[in-house]
Amino acid sequence: MLAFVTFALIVLFFTVLVLIGKTNELSEDIAGKGMNYDAKSKWNGYLLLGFVIAFFISIVYQVKLLAPIMIPKSASYHGEKTDNLFYVTLFFMTIVFILTQFALFYFAYRYNQSKNKKAYFYSHNNQLEVIWTVIPAIVLAVLVVMGMRVWFGIFNVEGRDKNPLVVEVTAKQFQWMARYPGADGKFGHRILDTAHITPTNELGIDWTDPNSHDDFWSDKLVFIKDKPVLVKLGALDVIHSFYLPHFRVKMDCVPGIPTQFYFTPKYTTEEMRDYLKTLPWWNTINPETGEPRWKTFKYELACTEICGRSHYGMQKEVVVVKDQAEYDEWMKKQTPIYVAPKSESASVDTAAAPATAATDSTGKDAAKTGKPVAALVKK
Amino acid sequence: MSAQTTTTADVHGHVDTDHIHGHEHHHEPTWLETYVFSTDHKTIAKQFLITGMFWGIVGGLLSVLFRLQLGWPNDTFPFLESLLGKWAEGGKISNEFYLAMVTMHGTILVFFVLTGGLSGTFANLLIPYQIGARDMASGFINMLSYWFFFAASVVLFISFFLQTGPASGGWTAYPPLNGLRDIAINKGSGLGFDMWALAMTFFIVSSLLGGLNYVATILNLRTKGMSMMKLPLTIWAFMFTAILGILSFPALLAGVALLEFDRLLGTSFYLNMIVVNGHLLDYRGGSPILFQHLFWFLGHPEVYIIILPAMGIVSEVLSVHSRKPIFGYRAMVVSIMAIVVISFLVWAHHMFVTGLNPNLAAVFVLFTLLIAVPSAIKVFNWIGTIWKGSVRLSVPMMFAIGFVSMFISGGLTGLMLGNSPIDIQLHDTYFVVAHFHIVMGVAAFFGMFAGVYHWFPRFYGRFMNDTLGYIHFYVTLIGGYAIFFPMHFMTGLPRRYYTFANFETFNNFNFLTQFISIAAIVVFIAQLIFVVNFFYSIFNGRKVDVERTEDGHTYGNPWEGTTLEWTAPIERIHGNWAGEIPSVYRWPYDYSVNDKPYISQNTPLAPGEVEHT
Repeated sequence: MLAFVTFALIVLFFTVLVLIGKTNELSEDIAGKGMNYDAKSKWNGYLLLGFVIAFFISIVYQVKLLAPIMIPKSASYHGEKTDNLFYVTLFFMTIVFILTQFALFYFAYRYNQSKNKKAYFYSHNNQLEVIWTVIPAIVLAVLVVMGMRVWFGIFNVEGRDKNPLVVEVTAKQFQWMARYPGADGKFGHRILDTAHITPTNELGIDWTDPNSHDDFWSDKLVFIKDKPVLVKLGALDVIHSFYLPHFRVKMDCVPGIPTQFYFTPKYTTEEMRDYLKTLPWWNTINPETGEPRWKTFKYELACTEICGRSHYGMQKEVVVVKDQAEYDEWMKKQTPIYVAPKSESASVDTAAAPATAATDSTGKDAAKTGKPVAALVKK
Repeated sequence: MSAQTTTTADVHGHVDTDHIHGHEHHHEPTWLETYVFSTDHKTIAKQFLITGMFWGIVGGLLSVLFRLQLGWPNDTFPFLESLLGKWAEGGKISNEFYLAMVTMHGTILVFFVLTGGLSGTFANLLIPYQIGARDMASGFINMLSYWFFFAASVVLFISFFLQTGPASGGWTAYPPLNGLRDIAINKGSGLGFDMWALAMTFFIVSSLLGGLNYVATILNLRTKGMSMMKLPLTIWAFMFTAILGILSFPALLAGVALLEFDRLLGTSFYLNMIVVNGHLLDYRGGSPILFQHLFWFLGHPEVYIIILPAMGIVSEVLSVHSRKPIFGYRAMVVSIMAIVVISFLVWAHHMFVTGLNPNLAAVFVLFTLLIAVPSAIKVFNWIGTIWKGSVRLSVPMMFAIGFVSMFISGGLTGLMLGNSPIDIQLHDTYFVVAHFHIVMGVAAFFGMFAGVYHWFPRFYGRFMNDTLGYIHFYVTLIGGYAIFFPMHFMTGLPRRYYTFANFETFNNFNFLTQFISIAAIVVFIAQLIFVVNFFYSIFNGRKVDVERTEDGHTYGNPWEGTTLEWTAPIERIHGNWAGEIPSVYRWPYDYSVNDKPYISQNTPLAPGEVEHT
């Protein structure tokens, strides 16, 4: 019944519209101005002019409303440069945007046929074409040069710290496995063959390598302020993408092809909270936690390459500590995989959305993972 | 083959070599030949258009459904269960089907609506009409092109009803997500993806058959006097679109074929060292990135395959309704050529964060930003065309203006995305979604609508209703911006997320996602107004003012255009022109010149008149 009523209402809606349209058309025909677009051009001219003005005002309003909610300032050094480049581009864009949009709609209004009866035959002007080819080309060349300076700064291997904090992050459906090298700063070797890669040792860590004995899984990514980080990335099953929105870091994790990203965190988690405390929106109360938003602020790791049903659940917390001492203290509390391996899956899975816990299959995926047990480890 | 005597073969292989003298005793086509297996470019154009409209509704509806999930992630909609069954148990779309809908939405709109529906419709309608040909070079191949498109449509549509659902690994079909035929990894990577691949194969065949025909027709069947520099910009756009498609679609076909080898035959083109549930699979030595190169070698030209026909249509519509020549005709032609050439050199800008060699990325940044130059030239020329015109703000003109607005808004953000360091943050986020939907989604639709409203009289001898047209325009313009403009502020929020609830960082935009969803629903309804208007006007639209001449045919030129399609009888006749095909003496943009509102291309130069060059 409800479906029928809905359907009837929809049909009625479109019938009324069509009748209105047809009535207008017939009355125009009766008035003998069927194909005369003078009147229509006049009021549509005003509407287009009104549109472009309203459009500009709405953009100002959107900036006011939405900019404070956006992901805050960069928490890494290179991110400040990419953000800066974003704003430089935005500056040029805004000029072009305003000029061209306004010209477009204003000309449509100003020269509509009710105001301008006779068009001016003007087919080309090569000088103008040259001008509006050369100016954009120069601006774009500037942007390319600026962009490439930043780009090669980020990927300049020679200029890097020889002794960064190295973290190995391996992605799989639907979790991040973060392996730290432990106190010796060296990862145990991995041997990628069927003998070493097993359900309890998905990375194929070679336990005969003593370097592996203090490697540990971490349930969060911990970085040190001002200490360069080299994240070594990989994936087991499908492509994932390692994304740290606050640090402007993104790199795909590709099965069979190692990738990496090198960057330096600038603000600790605490410092970022202190900064956000100064911004009005971050002082509003988050209804879900009942706290001001800055208080629960945290850096997060997300996946940005479609990787299957629980793509949206690949979250991991990221913490930036203030110095090596704090890091060492944290490290001491971690248990090596070799000694008492906790399941890497214990660290991860948050995919179950609040309302969908029952239907989401991610929980199952996590349970399936199996726990690497020391006794099974090949010595 | 000369322009005067075209050769067409009907479905029975019956060859009719001479239309001019063959009319009186022409074999009377059956209903099936006229409306179904037709070789007539006008009918094929309608077939493409109506199939495209069907897919447009399906693709749009999918987006409305997944916008329900995005706007109200914590609510349930019982009617969804009636509609989708097990995919929306309890009235909530499952996360698996959400991805399937996103995937199919992309595939349908990019390929089936904005390539098949747009290029297929207008290239078919306008190429023979505007160059002065009786039909395509091969009517039979043209017919095959449509029916391969139809076959692709059928296969893709059936895949919705599979037990494991349609393809759900993204319209880009990246392996290994789509390369492992394992529904435990991704339900849509089962039979759903095989059907996607089959549908795409048919689609590519259709596109190649169509494209070869377009190029052959434009190069060979132009009427007397129609030199290349007298072609309307629509034709230039269709020709270069076809060339782009011919050169790039085979790369996708090869890519998909190799992907199916991996899936069905156990090869390792794209797979290497895959570990599933702790077991190392037997794939060695492939590269998932190779597929991305093959995919985007088509995928990027594809966005120009979508936008170039829209640009051509808009150039024509802006000029006709401004009563002014297109500004900088030669610059427009050269910029189309530049776009086509450069569009082959930008594909890896979709891959800046795949681990691509940073030096290689630099090359792609350069070309990507370089392609903005010809695009900018086009925008300036469009605005120059309106300047000091006598602008008739009819419905097609409104859509053409809307196209330019959308193209500016969406094109500018390309400068950010194309610059690799900025792209690190923006890649695969809502900023990208905003960018490409505005610049090649909404804009291409505006171009398509401009074309449909403008050439509807050419199709049916009637107009579409103006009132409904204006409503359609304003709701789509305002709604289109309402949907996609705020997404720029969701910079950094990953796309293809089912919900943001798991992230503190992304979970602040709930009111905005709701607003966007409401806008999307409104815009969808406005498109239905267009569909209703279209079908209503076929039968009841205002008739074009016509003049009956002594040859028994009626002629009308409703928008006072100069191009040849308006010199042909308004009613649909086989071979387009009743008598001889008109010869061409002048360029297509003689508007408001010599104290005349317009001078048709087939009007000889007046004594002493200098040809426009």
